[in-house]
Amino acid sequence: MAKRFSRRAVLAQIAVGAGVAGFGFPIPHAYSASDDRPWAFFTDDEARWIAAVVDVFIPQDEFPSASQAGVVDFIDNQMATQYGEGDGLYLEPPFPAGVPEQGYQLEFTPAQLLRQGIEQARQLGEIATMDATARAAHVEELHQREGITSVLIAEIWKLTRQGYFADPIYLGNHDYAGWRMVGFPGAHAYYTERVDEHRRSVTPPPRGIAHDRGGSPFPPRAIRGGAE
Amino acid sequence: MMVKTLPRTDVLIIGAGWTGLTAAYELAHAGQRCVVLERGRKRHTATSFSAPEEHDELKYAHRYAHMMDVKKETLTIRNNRDQQALPMRRLGSFLPGSGLGGAGIHWNGQLWRPLPSDLQMRSHYEERYGKDFIGPELSVQDWGVTYEELEPHLDFFERICGAAGQAGNLGGEARPGGNVFEGPRSADYPNPPMRQPVSNTLFGEAAARMGLNPFPMPSANVTRAYENPYGAQLHPCTYCGFCERFGCGYYAKADPIICVYDRIKDHENFEIRFDAQVLRIEKSADGKTATGAIYLDENGEEMFQPANTICMCAYALWNVHLMLVSGLGKPYDPKTRTGVVGRNYSYQTVAGVDAFFDRTVETDPYMGAGALGVVIDDFNGDNFDHSELGFVGGGYIACKQYHGRPIGYQPVPEGTPKWGAEWKRAVRENYNHHADLVVHGSSVSTPENYLDLDPTWTDAYGRPLLRMTFDFPENDRKMSDFMMQRAMEVAREMDNVTSVSGTNLAAVDKHYDIVPYQTTHNVGGAVIGTNPQTSVVNRYGQMWDHHNVFVFGACLFPQNLGYNPTGPLMGLAYWTLDHMKRDYLPNPAPLMDA
Repeated sequence: MAKRFSRRAVLAQIAVGAGVAGFGFPIPHAYSASDDRPWAFFTDDEARWIAAVVDVFIPQDEFPSASQAGVVDFIDNQMATQYGEGDGLYLEPPFPAGVPEQGYQLEFTPAQLLRQGIEQARQLGEIATMDATARAAHVEELHQREGITSVLIAEIWKLTRQGYFADPIYLGNHDYAGWRMVGFPGAHAYYTERVDEHRRSVTPPPRGIAHDRGGSPFPPRAIRGGAE
Repeated sequence: MMVKTLPRTDVLIIGAGWTGLTAAYELAHAGQRCVVLERGRKRHTATSFSAPEEHDELKYAHRYAHMMDVKKETLTIRNNRDQQALPMRRLGSFLPGSGLGGAGIHWNGQLWRPLPSDLQMRSHYEERYGKDFIGPELSVQDWGVTYEELEPHLDFFERICGAAGQAGNLGGEARPGGNVFEGPRSADYPNPPMRQPVSNTLFGEAAARMGLNPFPMPSANVTRAYENPYGAQLHPCTYCGFCERFGCGYYAKADPIICVYDRIKDHENFEIRFDAQVLRIEKSADGKTATGAIYLDENGEEMFQPANTICMCAYALWNVHLMLVSGLGKPYDPKTRTGVVGRNYSYQTVAGVDAFFDRTVETDPYMGAGALGVVIDDFNGDNFDHSELGFVGGGYIACKQYHGRPIGYQPVPEGTPKWGAEWKRAVRENYNHHADLVVHGSSVSTPENYLDLDPTWTDAYGRPLLRMTFDFPENDRKMSDFMMQRAMEVAREMDNVTSVSGTNLAAVDKHYDIVPYQTTHNVGGAVIGTNPQTSVVNRYGQMWDHHNVFVFGACLFPQNLGYNPTGPLMGLAYWTLDHMKRDYLPNPAPLMDA
């Protein structure tokens, strides 16, 4: 199962990184010199597959694609920590099928869902060899199919939006890609004097919880084998 | 396992949210020794909800860090008795809290009073429209307590919260700019209304042009430095946009920790135990009274806390669950339509309308607050003629700016693809040019919507899960559709609006769905009234079957009104506490003849 991966340790390192940046010493983080950073949860094959899917959801335009903004890193981290392990999920048997209005009824944690779902999905097509149009059609087909791939695609779509727009301390939204795109200024929020002005002043540059100019010192990992 | 019996206390209070802490404050000052049992942990507004860490949309709005844990307690859900109910495996449609302050720390602060006619729903409609107007498929009933009786208590709770608003009816005298439909108020709001952003302002202007009556939403997001009657200090709202699902470390949203707990925690008659999960309430040999509660303490040891009086102050659903697993009151049976515990569960009927502006209107949706809205009440309750409409009830229509956080707030016009390049462009182009209208509708009770115990699944303590059987009644589908049409008319009248679309969660072809968030306004199941055949408690909140058990919260509502529940349920709480202090404690006995 998932390798253990301490979010606390990552956050502590981010905090240290932010502090260092504050002194104006651009000390490269140990990870940033290398693309050999291991995934916490994914295999390289899984990461490649995920990168292709999330870039169907959010492709590159004037703003980065999902994988360029660190969404694969975000999902990898989520799968290796509490959410992926099933926090906030009641998993007591039995597991009869229900109607959609009754919500999620599978026996899998999100990490198990991704692992098993990706394995099944990869047997249904080799996304890496498809062009953009074929990828989009393939993802749509996986979503429409009966069974686990439909739940998988819905889960990845949810995680993609979370990764693109969550605070960069969770490794997505790199360089505030998502926040810059919509004009969201972030976690430091005091608008008493502005709220009823009814004319837009310049939206302040985004600042996350760590108040780091780039959001996080962790650039997204390179996707080996190319996800475009 | 050996159960350790603790020294007896005067009053045992189950739950440390708005009602439980308020009961402790009022009864401790009346000389009663109070023990509060809270299933969650200790936390504090000053140390647990501070920015910027609290402004973490993923953790609090999508991973539900302040909410109850479904691994410990959840429920099963089905739309009707022909289905098998299945567990709510994840939170979704509603978000009950856990820990000090309960759901009161992550509310939006929308602080309403009921309309006078809401509290006499059956008799009011029968008087105005005739005996048969409410059909036999509805179990709508009167509350047994009137607006005039609750008014001083509704007023007092507004002062506890430092409510911001504009009176529309001060002692019978109409006030411009307020809600012309509200019942007479004994006092104005303690603080002036909130500052309104451009989206809400354009809504109000359009509504006024149409001859409707817009007013600022009454708010427990405080607008200036304020000291409440208990001595709590509140600060002005920053419009930070992190209100519902978040605690307010600015001390600007009234919550039970700063408004009540801090003012009672050092009192000699007050004791609170955290991580104290109540398992069941015990009854006396003759079954006429409750003797105390069995709970698991923070070490997982079973304790028995004896008490003279018990206040049930858990979240609405868990009060009902605790009655069912403890054998308090008679459970409701939908086949025979007898029994009362679990009867008349209802919810809230919600629809949304999106209005998109042209490029000239920039809304800055990240500036917001939980109760930042402009509202019309022209189609709420019986404020409009129902005689030709074929339904009862209504709701308010509000334009609100309160949740412009980018994971959850991605409004796109109708017809936009669900993902991909066009979706991405639409999110980017519309985030800053959107007005968010909500139809917040009533929910009538029916004989088929109810709560009981599930035959299959159990909670972490081995107790049967609560089972919810609920779908939107035909009445509410009609009501909601009517309301959404009215909201879309106002949206189309708004200046600079280029497109309007609506989503009705109670549309004719839809069933109640446990997945999308709707409201944390689960009501009924242990309703108040004057007839023991149709209510669990009498009009003072006292159980008919066990006179030393008093019940608090929205589980008392016989059906849901078109407003958010916190104001009405706190009015009822102070009403009950007033009668406990004046009438019950000097002479513990039933306050009404069954």
